[in-house]
Formats: sequence, structure tokens, C-alpha cells
Amino acid sequence: MSTKKRVSTFEHYKILLGKDLRREFRTREMLSTMGIYTLLVLVIFGIALMQTSAKIDIVQMSGGLFWALIVFTSLLGLNRSFAYEKEDGALEGVLLVPLDRSVIFLSKLTANFLLLIIVEAIAIPLFFLFFLSGVEMQPSLPLALAPLLVGTIGIAGVGTLLATITINTRGKDMLLALLFIPLVFPLLYACVSATTLAITGGDMLTGAYTAGLTLAIGYDVVMILVSWLLYDFVVSA
Amino acid sequence: MQYKATIFDKLALPLLLFGGVLIVFAFVFAFTITPPAQGDAMLAVPAPIGDFFLTNIVLLSQKIFYFHVPVAMVSFGALVFTAIYGILFLKTRNSKYDMRARLSTEISLVFVLMTMVSGLAWTRSDWGVWWSWEPRLTTYFILMLMVFSYFILRTAVSDPERRAVYSSVFGIIVFINAPLCFMITRLIPSSLHPVVFRADSGLPPLMLIPFLVAMLGFVCIAFALYRMRLRTSQSQENIEMLKTRLEELEG
Repeated sequence: MSTKKRVSTFEHYKILLGKDLRREFRTREMLSTMGIYTLLVLVIFGIALMQTSAKIDIVQMSGGLFWALIVFTSLLGLNRSFAYEKEDGALEGVLLVPLDRSVIFLSKLTANFLLLIIVEAIAIPLFFLFFLSGVEMQPSLPLALAPLLVGTIGIAGVGTLLATITINTRGKDMLLALLFIPLVFPLLYACVSATTLAITGGDMLTGAYTAGLTLAIGYDVVMILVSWLLYDFVVSA
Repeated sequence: MQYKATIFDKLALPLLLFGGVLIVFAFVFAFTITPPAQGDAMLAVPAPIGDFFLTNIVLLSQKIFYFHVPVAMVSFGALVFTAIYGILFLKTRNSKYDMRARLSTEISLVFVLMTMVSGLAWTRSDWGVWWSWEPRLTTYFILMLMVFSYFILRTAVSDPERRAVYSSVFGIIVFINAPLCFMITRLIPSSLHPVVFRADSGLPPLMLIPFLVAMLGFVCIAFALYRMRLRTSQSQENIEMLKTRLEELEG
């Protein structure tokens, strides 16, 4: 076997991503937990809104509520995404391979992103069913998908870096929330604004919606670049 | 490694006192010489105050500007050093930079807390509410949470090398996140609190002087506190080292 060729970085990426996804689809550990957790958060929202008057402006609130749901659910998933790497020294195995360490970041980011998207695909119809079924929808509603996508990418990016930090700390689950929520605050702010505008429609749409979306994209670019640069230090520490 | 006191350590205490004197000077200046700022609301009868005739309602609460703003600027300035020392640590792996990054963040924490307290007092007196999700307030609140998290992260990692790497990385991210936070909360119009873009009209000299003096005073105090903490921390480290050596000799 003298024809060994160097494995390219892209192939490393594909192998690592494939490993994460295969593991998830075999055990369905994260997906089932996150799916059920989504339902539970919806129940809690239901309780929280139960005593409010019928006239409450659910359309204006729903963007914010939905993002709260995403943040809580993603925290749960991000915690799990690295927990199993610590078992049986799986991460050490990956680190022994002579590869560009930032590939681990990109593959984890993609895996977390895809899982979050699947969970969101379950959560969105349920959210509509429970809270927005009696409301007439605006034609601008599909525009809400753009901030959803951008926000999920950002959450997966920042979350992957922070989850790598917190697996080696005491009280990992608690700590991830403490580090994660203040850091994604700007992204949430922009995404909630854009999502709410898309749901409510109206003439405020063009300017403010684009501003929110652009700022969210800017946040994604900056934070993912920085996380990518710093990831090597974190994962080898 | 024996720690030698440098010129900065000898200057720390005098600088602290000098900073205090400057702030007192700025305080007196701001309340006596600087004319009171006037609000938009008109007074029914023009009122004479010293040499000035006021036609508008006086904004006495504006005086907080000379203390609140310098404190806020110093708190962010300290975070800049957290990021710089974080980068230096990641490049050199020298634990002295980690210690400096931690101490800068400590100074930042003190000043962030002072900013929050003085800011809340002002919000209450000027806007009539204790809290509003206004860009600057929100940014500082998030900044405060991130500084808290920085210290919680430090206590949650037991291995010193790992703790240093993690906190350096987190310090750098916090430093990048804070301006992003301000930009986003400022540029996105909220339905409740419309953003007012103000053209920066430079300060008149009588307002600029107490502001700059207070600014210099707070910088002196922050620097003096930092040097004092640095010396304490280094002495602590020396003692730990001597203890270990003593144990080795005994054993």
C-alpha cells in the first residue's frame, strides 16, 4: 500500500461531520430530548400566557417567544454535543489525527446547525398550532425564515466554541448557559426584531427588517471568524 | 523568581491619592463654575442663578455626566487590557499575562458596577423609571453579566494552564461582543423606545474641564488599584512557591 495519499481538509470535515450525524441518527439522543423539551417549553409558554386577556397581542409577542424557545432548546443540545466526546476519550482520538484543528470546529458547527434546524422544523408548526392558529397571517411571513437561518448559524457557532470550553469545567451545564446567553444577546436582539417585523408585517418592514437581518449577519461573520481563530487554543488546552 | 518592586509600585499610593484629589476638584468645579445645563422645557419666569439667566428648566441631574461617563470609559478601557493580555498569553503561554488579564477584569468589574449604580440613579431621576432597555443600559447590563461569567468560568476550571487559556479566549470574545452589543441595540429601532441619534456637538470648555479632570482622576485610581492588586497577587504567588519549596526540602 504505497499509494497512500494525503487526506484533504475537506475530507476530514466530511468524515467528522458524518461521524457526528451518524451517531445522532443511530441513537437519536439529542433529537428526541430536544424535541420533547421544545414541547415542554411550549407548555410553559401556554401557562405563562393563560391568564392574559384574549386581546393580548400574541402576534407581536410571538417572535420573542419563539426565540426564547430556540435559545433554551439549543442550550440543551449544545451541552450534549460535546458531552459524549469526553466519554472513552473520543476527543483525544480526534486530536491525535494530524488535521487542522479548526476543522473540528467547522464540523461541529455544521452538526449542531443541522440538528437545530431539524428541531426548529418540528418546533415551528407546533408553535403555530398552539399560539398563532387563530391569527390571520401576513404575506410577509416567509421573510421570517431568513433571520431564523442566520440566528441558528450564529447560535451554533458561538455555542460550539463555548461548549468546548465548558466540557472541561465543573458544573458544565450551568456554566454554558452563563457564558452563552450574554454572548448571543446581540444576535437575539437583531433576530427577534427582524422576526417580529416579518410576522407583524406593516410598512415598517423594509428598513428595520433589513437592518436587523444585516446586523445579525454581521454578528455571525465576526463571531464565527473569532471563534474559528481561537478554537485551536481551546480544543488543545 | 524574586519579585522586585518597580517604580510603578512606589507610585501606586500617591497616584491613588492624586486621583482622589482630581475627582474632588472636578466635583467642585462641576457644581460651582460650570453653568447648569438647561433642558428643553421652558420656565415661566427667567430665573437668575449667579451670572446666568435661565429660561429653561435646569437639569441638575446632568452633573452626573462628569463622573458616570469617565467611570464607564475606564471600565471599558480595562477590558481592552483584558483582551490584550489574553492575546499575549495565548501567544507566549506566560502565566504572568494571565494574572494581568484577570486583574484588569477585576478593575473592570469594579468600574462596571459603579457605572451601573450611578446609571440607575440617573435613570430614576431623569426618566422616572429604574430601568429601561435603552442601548447603553442594555449594553452595560450585558457587559456586567459577561464580566461575572468571566470570574465564574475561572473558578470552574481547576487546572491553571487550562483556566488561563479559557479565560483568555473568553476575555477576547467579551471584548469583541461588547461593541457589537452596543451597535445592534443602538441601530435597531425598538417599538417602545425610539432611538434618538444625536449629532455630537462638542462640549463647551467649562463642561470639558471637569470632565477631563475627572477622567484623568479615574484613570489614575484604576491604574493605582491595578498595580496594588498586581503586587499582592505576585506576593501571593511567591509565597505559594516558597511553601512548595519548603515542603520539598522537608520531604
